[in-house]
Amino acid sequence: MKTKTVVGLIALMLMITANQVFAWDWPWARKKKANTITLTGSTTVLPIAQRAAETFMEIRPKANISVRGGGSGVGIAALIDGTADIANASRPMKTKEVKTAREKGINPVETIIARDGIAIIVHPENPINELSLAQLKDIYTGEIAGWGEVGGETKTIVVVSRDVASGTFEVFKKLVLRGDKTRDDALMLASNKAVATTVAQAPGGIGYVGLAYISPAVKVLKMEGALPSLETVAKGEYKLARPLFMYTNGKPKGLAKEFIDFILSPQGQGIVKDLGFVPVK
Amino acid sequence: MQKILVVLALILLPRLCCGIASAQETKLEMYLWNRYTLERVAGETKKSEFALKRGYLRLDHKFSDNIKGRVNLDFFSDEDYPDGAGIKLKYAYLDFKEVLPIPESKFTFGLQKTYFGTIYDWKYVTIQKALEDKEKVISSTDYGVALFGYIPKGLGEYAASILNGEGYKKTGGDINTKPAYLANLRVIPIPGVTLGGSVLYEERGPEYDKRLLYAGVVRTAFGPLDMWGEYLTAERGEFNNPTRSVGFMVMPILKLANLTGADVELVARYDKWDKDTDIEDNAHSRLTGGFNWYIQRRAKGKPAIMLQANYERTSYENPGKDPKDNLMVQFRWEFASKPF
Repeated sequence: MKTKTVVGLIALMLMITANQVFAWDWPWARKKKANTITLTGSTTVLPIAQRAAETFMEIRPKANISVRGGGSGVGIAALIDGTADIANASRPMKTKEVKTAREKGINPVETIIARDGIAIIVHPENPINELSLAQLKDIYTGEIAGWGEVGGETKTIVVVSRDVASGTFEVFKKLVLRGDKTRDDALMLASNKAVATTVAQAPGGIGYVGLAYISPAVKVLKMEGALPSLETVAKGEYKLARPLFMYTNGKPKGLAKEFIDFILSPQGQGIVKDLGFVPVK
Repeated sequence: MQKILVVLALILLPRLCCGIASAQETKLEMYLWNRYTLERVAGETKKSEFALKRGYLRLDHKFSDNIKGRVNLDFFSDEDYPDGAGIKLKYAYLDFKEVLPIPESKFTFGLQKTYFGTIYDWKYVTIQKALEDKEKVISSTDYGVALFGYIPKGLGEYAASILNGEGYKKTGGDINTKPAYLANLRVIPIPGVTLGGSVLYEERGPEYDKRLLYAGVVRTAFGPLDMWGEYLTAERGEFNNPTRSVGFMVMPILKLANLTGADVELVARYDKWDKDTDIEDNAHSRLTGGFNWYIQRRAKGKPAIMLQANYERTSYENPGKDPKDNLMVQFRWEFASKPF
């Protein structure tokens, strides 16, 4: 009897709490959310999100769009924890992540906003112009340690990679390493920018970045005969290509929908193209 | 033996840390629970202590994308030990992903999780252990082999294990003539609703004929309200006349981040456990209330520094036994050498 009373009281408290929680819908939070969204995640998607947010906020001055990096894994975790409205990702969500999200009442819905090529970059003075996927894999797994082994100078290769929170790293692993491990002494960096900067300063360096991070400070190598570009990625000629995603909890709604619709609009896709990514519309 | 292990850990730790700095796929993690406990029974203080209640030193290593290993040392304060503290091996296993042509599956060999009820993904939202752990129905880890996998599209997970059945604390304490068989299934039919069930069956020697455990798990998570429920039964003892234990747990969690701006959640919990349903006035219940404040989180949302406070009252059906009150306040702090 005592137990039933306690269970009954807890059930009653829960019903009251749940009723209040859903009825109130946190009015102050709702007001805040109506004008504010947070995007977190991929540093590859970051330039698109930032530029699009700046332009969008010029059109909608009352909108407040906060954009953060951290890597695809961090963005997806933020969406699952409810600390981000949109997770930017340069890889699809893993089954484990989708399961964790669904357990917590989050229904991840993906929107492809652009396509990207993963550019293989070296120091501008490196005479190498092209690598095969097999050579690239051997360099990253440590089978090839010097540039001389692929027709270059007798310099030691400095392998620069993204860290494990990165979606670019996940895609690179899938497309290039195919289950093998990156060599132990690879530099694991937290952003595309850090990779590009490091390779630009290391004469023996090799790294990989999204198309938006290509600059004259680094040299881009052909992969299997193709240079990464809007055309080669769009036509499927460049092998190291992937879609870029924005994930929301359920179908985008409110300001998140307006923002994603903007990115998919001709103006938004123009920003995508200006930044060196491949538009999807 | 424990002292030797502690000394070895202290000697090896700096070397391991130095090695890890250059090793790409090795991760070092440390989990520490510094707790204050006030225990009162019938108005009398039975305990008022500060202690390091739990500490994990964990090493994960990725041999390749498909092979991963974990070793975990478990430190704990315990008055029953001569030095007031102990150390045990909690995990020591190898994961082999996708050995079978089943996507998102893995085989695990060694001292590993027991995929039963809520014990295997218990996040200590309350300071107290999971019901089956607290009532010593099953140990959280055990030696054996398991197949674990995710159901496609995030619809859930499954596991099947063959274990010693003794748990990590009692290895060698019982005769291992017959293994324990464990099966677990969790499904998420719609986002926010999780249903699960587990069964463990074990036959042993003449003194402990059989053990048959069932657990049913329900979780609902909508908006800021996350609620767990578990029903647990255990039959243990003689083959045809086992002792039957029954219990349940209900645990609502209310996340206040949107309301307060701080990463805080309120938690309540009610446990009921009847160790032997044939004996009158044998059951007890535990009512818990408290909060968790995630002062800082690690990458991917894991807690880095967390303040937990729980008040817990344990009441007994036996009228001659006074209720027990516990106030526990603890800092949980965790760190890792890298985020994978």
